[in-house]
Amino acid sequence: MEKNLEHQIDESEKLGMQIVKESEDDRLMTLSVGPQHPGSGHFRFTIKVDGDYVVHCDPDPGYVHRGEEKMCEYRNFIQNIPHLERPVIHDSANITYSYSLAVEELVGIQVPRRGQFIRAIASELDRQIYTLYWLAIYGIFLGHSTMFMWPTGDRELFIDLMDALSGARVTHAFNIPGGVRNDIPDGFKDKCLRHISYFEKRLKEYEDIFYTNPLFIQRTEGVGILTKEDAIGLGVTGSVLRASGVPYDIRKAEPYDVYNEIDFKVQYMKSGDSLARAYVPLLDMKESCHIMRQLLDKMPESGEVRAKLQPTPKGPPGEAYRRVESGRGALGYYIVSDGSPKPYRVKISVGSFRNMIALPHLLVGSKLADMPSVYWSLNYWPVEADR
Amino acid sequence: MSQDPKNKPVDSTTPSQPPPSPPAKAAAPPAKKETEAPAFEKGLVSQIISRFGDDKIKVAYIRPLRMKVNVDPLDMVEVATFIRDNLGFDHAESVTGTDYPKDNQIEVIYQLGSYSKDDIAAHILSLTTRTSRDDARLPTLINVYKSAEYHERETFEMLGVYFEGHPRNERFLLPEDWADLPPLRKEFRIRGR
Amino acid sequence: MASIIWLILWILIIVSLVGLPLIFIILFYLPLPPVNGEVLTPYLFLSMMVDPTRTLPILHFIIHTDLFKVAVFPGFSFAALLAAVTIFVERKFLAKMQLRIGPLYCGKIEGILQLLADGLKLIAKEIIIPSGADKPIFWAAPIAFVATAAAVVALIPVAPGWVAADVNVGIIAVFAILGFFPLIALLFSWASNSKYPFIGGLRALHQMIAFEIPFFLSALSVVILSGSLNLTDIAKAQHPYWYIFFLPISAFVFFISSLAELERIPFDLPEAESEIVAGWLTETSGMIFGLIQLGSYVKVYALSALFVVLFLGGWAGPQIFPKELAHGPTAGLMGLLTLQGVYNGVTVNAIFWFTVKTLGIIMLMLLPRGISPRIRIDILLHTGWYKLIVLTFINMFIALALIYGGILGPGGLLTAH
Repeated sequence: MEKNLEHQIDESEKLGMQIVKESEDDRLMTLSVGPQHPGSGHFRFTIKVDGDYVVHCDPDPGYVHRGEEKMCEYRNFIQNIPHLERPVIHDSANITYSYSLAVEELVGIQVPRRGQFIRAIASELDRQIYTLYWLAIYGIFLGHSTMFMWPTGDRELFIDLMDALSGARVTHAFNIPGGVRNDIPDGFKDKCLRHISYFEKRLKEYEDIFYTNPLFIQRTEGVGILTKEDAIGLGVTGSVLRASGVPYDIRKAEPYDVYNEIDFKVQYMKSGDSLARAYVPLLDMKESCHIMRQLLDKMPESGEVRAKLQPTPKGPPGEAYRRVESGRGALGYYIVSDGSPKPYRVKISVGSFRNMIALPHLLVGSKLADMPSVYWSLNYWPVEADR
Repeated sequence: MSQDPKNKPVDSTTPSQPPPSPPAKAAAPPAKKETEAPAFEKGLVSQIISRFGDDKIKVAYIRPLRMKVNVDPLDMVEVATFIRDNLGFDHAESVTGTDYPKDNQIEVIYQLGSYSKDDIAAHILSLTTRTSRDDARLPTLINVYKSAEYHERETFEMLGVYFEGHPRNERFLLPEDWADLPPLRKEFRIRGR
Repeated sequence: MASIIWLILWILIIVSLVGLPLIFIILFYLPLPPVNGEVLTPYLFLSMMVDPTRTLPILHFIIHTDLFKVAVFPGFSFAALLAAVTIFVERKFLAKMQLRIGPLYCGKIEGILQLLADGLKLIAKEIIIPSGADKPIFWAAPIAFVATAAAVVALIPVAPGWVAADVNVGIIAVFAILGFFPLIALLFSWASNSKYPFIGGLRALHQMIAFEIPFFLSALSVVILSGSLNLTDIAKAQHPYWYIFFLPISAFVFFISSLAELERIPFDLPEAESEIVAGWLTETSGMIFGLIQLGSYVKVYALSALFVVLFLGGWAGPQIFPKELAHGPTAGLMGLLTLQGVYNGVTVNAIFWFTVKTLGIIMLMLLPRGISPRIRIDILLHTGWYKLIVLTFINMFIALALIYGGILGPGGLLTAH
């Protein structure tokens, strides 16, 4: 083959033409996916393709990096909440939940029981909101426009509920260290139960139109298989981990707040391909509805929702590491305090950043046409990974 | 029974066997009065100490579900390999660094977790090391924990810690034309604050 | 008040100085038929105002000229009108399926004028041509696209005797013209001088070529049964029973292949938005994009009409329009109203049933867009080259068996006499 190429080069040079090579092997084509590509979100990765197969992949995050961790050192514990929820605006009840837990451990705050329940309800609602959005984008990546419209429409059910709770559709700023900002409004419980019943019927329709669609199964079954050992070794988290056969969920492994009183199962699948990674969030959503019903049922009728705090709470020097299960996986906060009202160091460990390492691992060797289904099934939220 | 770990323990009953989920959290926040360290976690740490010796492993704290040990940079790879193979902590959840200009040191901390063993599923072992601020070099742990690859790269660009053996000590999240100090160092001030 | 007087003045001037001479010039040069035994002169034409029925022979004559058949009906304007209706119906239909409303604000009733607004917007947009693009091809390709689609439309008979080009080898001509489309896609993507259009163009080429073979193999079964390549004869030969009852597999294969030719979901790889931005259409903007959309939907109409002619009996259907609007020749205003000499009940009936069936097939083609995700290229090629060709061969053997068994074909049991 080398000889042929040289012969071609000689012939064309005789004719006065020059061949411009892109790389040493001019069969490879470099494609840059993103950040202005409809298939990537605010994230860029370059792939080198040989024909239809990917031979190299290099993620390049950082387009939405805003220095969250540095900003935390300039504001006190309570002022940090509004900007910390910006990495994932619609799952904000989870990303501030973990922060509140860590601060409560550092400062020594006891959260009243009703506040814990409300926090957990908000967390489950936000989990649904995020997962539905992820599902909608997955549908549109594969060209299924109905699967884009339906979850986005059904998401409004939960956004309405969060709007009633917190006053904002996204970026709720609902959690603070010590509880939640305000109590639930009247009639919330009935509205919530109605929405959940309607949504459970809709999940069945999603399965009919999308998950059992032979074209979808053809595109995702056996594609991008992540084995159990690889999943553990690469340290992935969330639905990606559970789709590879590891039943690990922080709500079960290390229950926080009231989760040890709730009876639920960790949903996982063993195949580790894109289909499993798409299925696990659906099962998670079903389980989440189940959890929400129990939370609404067991919530104490009345009580404080927030512990009384000083205006600028501070605690003794120390450190804390707390984690919460969010829509993308384990979301951990490592906070170091030096005794002042502002944290000394805040490190946010997000599921998306941890799952990014699976992207080159899975893409190399697979087809270019599989790229959307592999990439988006990794549940990567670019804004959160960049912090 | 409340799951709130901020409960001051009336009795510091900590279970001697480790249930994966519930009530192992009745512990006091650190630097309060001296309470007895939980037995299971102590057992884990003492395995490391018995292997490497008291002079190499310095225990920072042992709390329910959270342990922190400090080692020398030169021993990092060995200790990490031991922890992975013998104790069962199979992945690094996050790798980060904290800048302590008062001690003129940067502390790099690896939070290690376990997916495969049920009894330590909730535990996090923090493996830390300290290096000087002026010449921050550390051996990389990506041959032990593959998951640390991008985290170490981020620590390099944010704090300026060079990981020897890491294939790409490069800019990752910051813009391509970043020509300033590593941002997480304390002398880098956000403008206007 | 003054402006109205000026307006009237200007209208009078233009009509008398420009309009009337123009009419007379046209009437001098157009060969017009004699009216009531007299040669139609422009002065006789002006006397139409007295006796309105004198316009009818002219109308009859104009309708049967070639220019009318090509440009208005059943040619380009009819196809463009149906294409416009298709676009609007598609948006509404899809919207209802997806819990949305679709266009709502343009036009009083449910956004009916949305298409007009979109067309005006596209005309007003700037056409951006990438640097290094091959300009002649960049401009010529969309026009060629629309022209080719219109050429296919010209071959399809809508009613007996109403076809813009009555070619004796109609089917072969249709497929020959359809073979031009992959070439246009490839030329345009190459001329765009960019990576994503290039990948899209190659995918379009692969897709269209892979599905052309099952396409005409399924039409071949129809030709075997009807014994003629002329599309009008094929439509007439389906007199008692439509071919879809004998050749369901072929109809199915034809339908799937036409979805692939039209680049509709689930076969819209060449424009796969999430992977390659917009495929070979990436660099189109403004009116170029508008032309390609128009051509695309005219092609939808053309292939649906072809399906109707080949499998659904063309214009066959029960006569629900009266054959004549008046009994015997009438004169005067009644003659005008009953469209004496112009109205033909059989033709109108044929047009009606043809349109109904075509719209039905178009709706069926719109349906997969709301249901399916996009197919992957290797599955597409596998389907096109293996599975569909096998299916068409099965149906061809069925067709041959029907002919040799004496059920269809000349002298057969079920053939009309």
